[in-house]
Amino acid sequence: MSAATVSERAEIRAMARELASRELAPRAAALDAGGQDVLAECWRLLVQLGLDRVLLDERHGGAGLGVADLLATIEELAVGDGGIAMCVLLCNAALATLTDEQLAVVPSGARWALVPGAAGTEVRFSDGQLDGSLACALGAHGADGLVILLDGPQPAAWAIPRDAPGLKLQRDTDQMGLCAAPAASIEMAVIRSAQVTGEVDGSVGTASAPALLRAGTAAIAHGIARRAHGMALEYAHARRQGGVAIIEHDAVSDMLAAMAVRLACWPQIAADPAGLALDGERALAVKIAASDAAVASTTDAVQVFGGTGYMVETGIEKLMRDAKYCQLFPEPNWVAHDELMRSARAGRAA
Amino acid sequence: MSTMIPERSLTEQFPRLAQNGGLDVRELERLRARARRFAHEHMRPRALQIDRRTGEDPSSFDWDLVRAGAEAGMLGLLIPKPAGGAGGMSTQVAVVMEELCAACPGIALIFGAHALGISPLLLGGPSQWDGVLAELVASEYDSEPQLMACAITEPEAGTDVEDPDLLRHARITSHARRVPGGFRLSGTKRFISNGSVARWITLLMPTDPRRPAESWTCFLLDTRSEGFAVSRVEHKMGQRACPAAELTFDEVFVPAERIVSREGDGAAATTIVLACSRPPVAAIATGIARGAYERVLGWLQEDPAARGLAERQHVQLALAGMEEEIHLARQLYMDAATELDHTALGGVMSHPGVRALGHVPAGIRSRAPVRGWLASERARDATIALLHRSTSERAVTRSLALSSMAKARGGDVAMRVTGAALELVGLRAGPIRAELEKLWRDAKLTQIYEGTNQLNRLEVYRGLCHAETMNCLPPLRRVHPDPAAQAHTNGDGNAHLQPDPPQRANVDGNGGRS
Ligand SMILES: Cc1cc2nc3c(=O)[nH]c(=O)nc-3n(C[C@H](O)[C@H](O)[C@H](O)COP(=O)(O)OP(=O)(O)OC[C@H]3O[C@@H](n4cnc5c(N)ncnc54)[C@H](O)[C@@H]3O)c2cc1C
Repeated sequence: MSAATVSERAEIRAMARELASRELAPRAAALDAGGQDVLAECWRLLVQLGLDRVLLDERHGGAGLGVADLLATIEELAVGDGGIAMCVLLCNAALATLTDEQLAVVPSGARWALVPGAAGTEVRFSDGQLDGSLACALGAHGADGLVILLDGPQPAAWAIPRDAPGLKLQRDTDQMGLCAAPAASIEMAVIRSAQVTGEVDGSVGTASAPALLRAGTAAIAHGIARRAHGMALEYAHARRQGGVAIIEHDAVSDMLAAMAVRLACWPQIAADPAGLALDGERALAVKIAASDAAVASTTDAVQVFGGTGYMVETGIEKLMRDAKYCQLFPEPNWVAHDELMRSARAGRAA
Repeated sequence: MSTMIPERSLTEQFPRLAQNGGLDVRELERLRARARRFAHEHMRPRALQIDRRTGEDPSSFDWDLVRAGAEAGMLGLLIPKPAGGAGGMSTQVAVVMEELCAACPGIALIFGAHALGISPLLLGGPSQWDGVLAELVASEYDSEPQLMACAITEPEAGTDVEDPDLLRHARITSHARRVPGGFRLSGTKRFISNGSVARWITLLMPTDPRRPAESWTCFLLDTRSEGFAVSRVEHKMGQRACPAAELTFDEVFVPAERIVSREGDGAAATTIVLACSRPPVAAIATGIARGAYERVLGWLQEDPAARGLAERQHVQLALAGMEEEIHLARQLYMDAATELDHTALGGVMSHPGVRALGHVPAGIRSRAPVRGWLASERARDATIALLHRSTSERAVTRSLALSSMAKARGGDVAMRVTGAALELVGLRAGPIRAELEKLWRDAKLTQIYEGTNQLNRLEVYRGLCHAETMNCLPPLRRVHPDPAAQAHTNGDGNAHLQPDPPQRANVDGNGGRS
């Protein structure tokens, strides 16, 4: 896995941006409604551009790029649709944890998903068998395979193809946000098998999968906030109340300014994106900051739209729901705070 | 750990209630208990299912719930006792709204929007008691309850129609054109709660589009009228059980006697209606926050997946913060509601003349001469004169500001508490997450409708920080500027515009303080 040159990186970013505005944004409402056909259609486009295997090397049909390139790509995709960006993140993270032998039998175009085993959930590994259940696993419904991250001692992760005996998925029909990464509840009583099913070490090159997941969620939150700001700004110029465009009212321009400030802080927050996925604590902090900022910005964006913002067809309230899920995934932000402090406490104790 | 808000009686919580002469606190307690029972038995068990169904088909509507609500007395809250209703005011509606919204804000909005539709009629005084209000009450008894809606918002004017000064320069595209015997209404109203299911709509339109503020007029519209259509039902983020509709009016005829109050009184009527309806909206928000809080408490206590969480200080502090915010939000809306009912408008309702009329049997009131007099221009003027004698523009402005403060703060509390509750629970399985997500979606609307929170805070500035006095009472007399136009009315001297637009009072050299 190697990082792209500056110009390559700009090119990938531009390609993702183009795809987001031309193909994803127009389909965002259909993706939000949970349409599986439209998801398949978008996935085909993403696969054509190699965005499902950004981190894999050419041997495995990948682009051989680095974590920073993946993060830049999914941020751009999230401007079009946060759920699709989440699918891309989950698939790249999942495939990057697989061994060469496992990857060799994963067909091209397959959509895999990395599933974090949330703290407190009952997933056990013993005698070569993985047992337990997980709720609201984003991207798991319809995925061709899952990599379950375990919370606790080794093995760090476990790969399971969709048709593995003992794996049962049920679609989560109440999913409120990031709906293009369709969630499922998972029941597992899965036995290690020769080819794909089995332990993986949970690392993505030198990065760790949980850190990548948090850094990626932060990038998605930031992409969503960018879209909210863009839409709100445009509407504030077009909508007139009180005899002027509403951007002329301090009440509205204050909200837009606050959004712009949060966006402007992102490069500082997310400086050194490649390092982000190596540094678990920084990834946690960035995920907390970015998702809180996205929730604040999308909520304000709906407010700028007034009653129109509350209507599904406008597409702005969807951003609020998507941003909220970034606050809750891979863990709620208060649990992420806890995680941060756990290592700080441990550090002092040591 | 308790799963209910600590129970204190309303008098213990709000001593001021007992000082409100017109209010029977025990009756209010009983009403609250009835609302809570109705919410528990009929609303909460159906909330998620209705939300899902209306998410797929926004125009589906649950009339069974409306019938059950009518039986529980949720429809007649605001209808005056002489018309057969409960004779409640802002306080009663607010107390009920909190209870209903803790169960399901979408279903509660059906009853809230109905009350909003009724409220302009109250300003029409006794002339309205024996018409549609009595019909609404009768409809409840024959199990075919009728609903009302109130239509103010237009596509080009949302915030602008919520404030009399902004209305002056608003881009109003609707028009009530004077014709022999009445008016022909044309235009579009947008986002009208209950708009697609209402039998009657109180509706605001200008009779002179060049002077919308001065000619803003409230009409009572029969939705079976020719030319009226529901052009769309919106697909909303939340509060879905209550449909929000776009309504179009294509030369709909409304007879002159269906003007509520008088032609041109609409801007003042809107201000008073908003002062009355914002405390209940603040209560809606408080109820949403309480609903989320109670669900989290229940989950922590009952769900094995939450075992041990309540021992964490983080969780304890989050819960304490919710309790604190809900408590303050409730104090604010009760303060605003009682201020309005007791101080700003209390004098009107308890006026001996109004009370005496209330004792006259409906059979006598509906005899032709009495009915004719009650509907006459003189009686309408007398109602306005009574309003002027019983309250003041400053009292109503202050009351509006308190209502607006409660509404804006309540909306923010609802968003914060539902957001925090959802974060505590996270992406879990089971109904708890779906219920909290729904309440969070429902909460956002409380920052938008009944005037955005921004507009509400600007009203707080005007009424409290700057101590302005708004023109919020209709003028004592309306003088018709154009005698030729008068000839077109039905001869009772109806519909008379004031020659000069009302000036904002007391914004003068003494800093605008009255
Ligand atoms: C679900 C729903 C139900 C509703 N039910 C009803 C109903 O039953 N009856 C009815 O009549 N209406 C109803 N409404 C309309 C509601 O009252 C309006 O949406 C609200 O008043 C805001 O108007 P708007 O949507 O046009 O927003 P706009 O007025 O366009 O506001 C857009 C943004 O500009 C800001 N803004 C506008 N003007 C100013 C100003 N002068 N100063 C500072 N900031 C300003 C606002 O705060 C907001 O942030 C409903 C709305 C919704 C969403």
